[in-house]
Amino acid sequence: MRTFAALLRSESVLFLRDKAAFFFTFLFPLIFILIFGFIMGDVDRPSARLGFVEETAGAGGPLREVLEASGVDAVLEFQNEASLRDAVLARGIEFALLWEGDALEFVYNPNRMQENYAFQQIADGIVDAFNLRSQGAQPVLPIERIHVGTEASTRWLNQMVPGIIAFSILASGLFAVSGHLTGMKERGTLDRLLVTPMSPLALLAAIGAVRLVIVYLSTLVTLGVSVLIFQLSFRVDWLAYTVLIPAATLGMMGFGTIIALVVRRPSSAGNVANILAMVMMFLSGIYFPIEFMPRFLRTFSQVLPLRHLAEALRFATGVSDMSPMRFWIIVACLFGLGLALFPILARYAVRPQRS
Amino acid sequence: MTDILLIAVNHVVTAVREKVTLFWFLIFPVFLLVILSLIFGQIGQEGQISFEISLANEDAGSGSPFPAMIEFVFDEVATTADPGKEPLFRLRRPASGEEIHDFVASELIAVRRGRRAALVVLPEGLGREIEAQLASGGTHVGETALEIHYSEGNASSAMAVSIIDQILAGIDREILARAGAYDASRAVPQRTTTVGSATEETPYVNFLLPGIVLMGFFTTGLFGIPGAILFSRDQGVLRRYWVTPLDVPRFLGGLALGHISLCVLQFAVVFLVGRLALGATVSFAGVATVLYLLLAVITFMAFGFLIASVAKTANSGMAIANILNMPMMFLSGLFFPITGLPFFLRAIVYVNPVSYLADGLRAAVGVDVAAFPRLAAVLVPIGWILASTAIAAWRLRWDVSR
Repeated sequence: MRTFAALLRSESVLFLRDKAAFFFTFLFPLIFILIFGFIMGDVDRPSARLGFVEETAGAGGPLREVLEASGVDAVLEFQNEASLRDAVLARGIEFALLWEGDALEFVYNPNRMQENYAFQQIADGIVDAFNLRSQGAQPVLPIERIHVGTEASTRWLNQMVPGIIAFSILASGLFAVSGHLTGMKERGTLDRLLVTPMSPLALLAAIGAVRLVIVYLSTLVTLGVSVLIFQLSFRVDWLAYTVLIPAATLGMMGFGTIIALVVRRPSSAGNVANILAMVMMFLSGIYFPIEFMPRFLRTFSQVLPLRHLAEALRFATGVSDMSPMRFWIIVACLFGLGLALFPILARYAVRPQRS
Repeated sequence: MTDILLIAVNHVVTAVREKVTLFWFLIFPVFLLVILSLIFGQIGQEGQISFEISLANEDAGSGSPFPAMIEFVFDEVATTADPGKEPLFRLRRPASGEEIHDFVASELIAVRRGRRAALVVLPEGLGREIEAQLASGGTHVGETALEIHYSEGNASSAMAVSIIDQILAGIDREILARAGAYDASRAVPQRTTTVGSATEETPYVNFLLPGIVLMGFFTTGLFGIPGAILFSRDQGVLRRYWVTPLDVPRFLGGLALGHISLCVLQFAVVFLVGRLALGATVSFAGVATVLYLLLAVITFMAFGFLIASVAKTANSGMAIANILNMPMMFLSGLFFPITGLPFFLRAIVYVNPVSYLADGLRAAVGVDVAAFPRLAAVLVPIGWILASTAIAAWRLRWDVSR
């Protein structure tokens, strides 16, 4: 027990001294939240400012009423067509409308290829509403839109934050083994520790315990900062959250173990972990919705553990729903993976460097 | 001259032989180009993204023709599609013998859990409600409405609702037209035009390809140059060089030549994949474009020297490169247009050389309008080259023991 306590202390001190580890565990997720929060946060509903020029007098009144009710963020009036087009080109407004008396001409910036589809849908709605109104007709099909998702799931950013936390757990777990352990091997500290009465399992348990606490704290910091900066709301199920984070950290350390076992050269293990993390990051619906992907990529993403971890975290933070059984199966799989691979890791990865 | 060539060949061969380096400098840019093109290149394109929508008609027995009409239109949209493309959405209906209320209850859970994009319910009494609306000229205040159940934060759900809205607007016009309250031939037409020189929307792959080319140059400079110098220094390879007639300027010449060769190889692969596999039409053939690409290679190479000069060891050099890599890439508009950033993030965009190079290159190849003044897009990277070179010349140690 004294050995374990000493190892625990030394691992904690090592982590606190390691500026790079501190950066990647605490600051990196925050940087990602800030960058992607501002860039991709509103990918599901891009801001839409509409420029408007009435070239021919008449019908402007009803059209303005339609524009006000169209759902655009702002309607900005311009003096002439030239200034309107300049504003669209310079991205001062998202799209524009020219009322010519006999046609509604919508002007788009062809370089806004990711957003134009949304603006075109708004434009279609404006034309429909205007045509009905100009003939004195009113819609006769009453429609009610009902949000049935969880209360905290009204923005894509809400979904993205647990995704980023999931990625930081993945990275932390993967590099705990492939990075930390191989680093110890390269520095020769592992060889020295192994000639003491310390058991390999105790060393791994100490590394794991320190990681579990630090990862848990870092996820709380990330969650807290995203709430403060982006005014997001989460309905965290603290029991599910508190069980999931250690399970996920252990599970991802298990994946790190597999890498450490497959990749024999210590310095390559970190690189392979890095490559896998990067591939999973883009295919697991972390930064952009999985629904945007082609069908074959959506199917492929099913086999990626990061996807399931992100979805479980979204469930635990109350931003999306899943069956409780699926959540606990994910938790059990992650726990099982970590615990099953720990003895293997102790047997094969924590051993003296071959000369 | 031979020694310079030998160093260059050594740099290229080492990069190509090393699987990890090969991944980052060749495979990863291609992977990213393909993935981002597949994901963002098809947003809003009919037949590319497909949703699953459920429809429940609880008003089937009312005798009103309108619920059946709505059902018919949804069926039509869900089955008609161009050959080889998926329909706009797949429609789920209650199985024969399935209780409609059970179907609605299970589909509500499916929408909530993201398995279904939306659920459209035609509630009992909807047909009569539409008839009442028609009779009152759309002013009747009733309690029955067609229900669209969706999940707001779910992207496919939000897109599905937009599509359903369009379908319902069409149905609304058709009902009014049949009742004589709306004349489609008198409708004001909609026209669409674009600004700038492009006559049609720029394909996303054309926007992305210059970004990926620059990303490749950036990561190759950021990791390749410090890696080549610092690992060689730490492992004592450089020390062995210095006992040969090779001197630092010629070593640097060889390293630069090898680095430029790698960038040319990388550009060729990324360009060919973009052009042949993804249908990019953007051209890099202009003199200004080639000069701009060369400016980018030199800027990132100088940046690599800067990192090598501030890092004490190879591992710390790689850590610094890793820390800078993502923020500099994502805060430059390489992959997505960046708008609406707060001041402190915009400040990073403004000092980031990648922003200017991405902006300038896209303007040079004609896929976007330059956001920065043309002079700034050249002078800022040159400033970085000068500053990085000066710091590297002052701080870079060529031997661990010196």
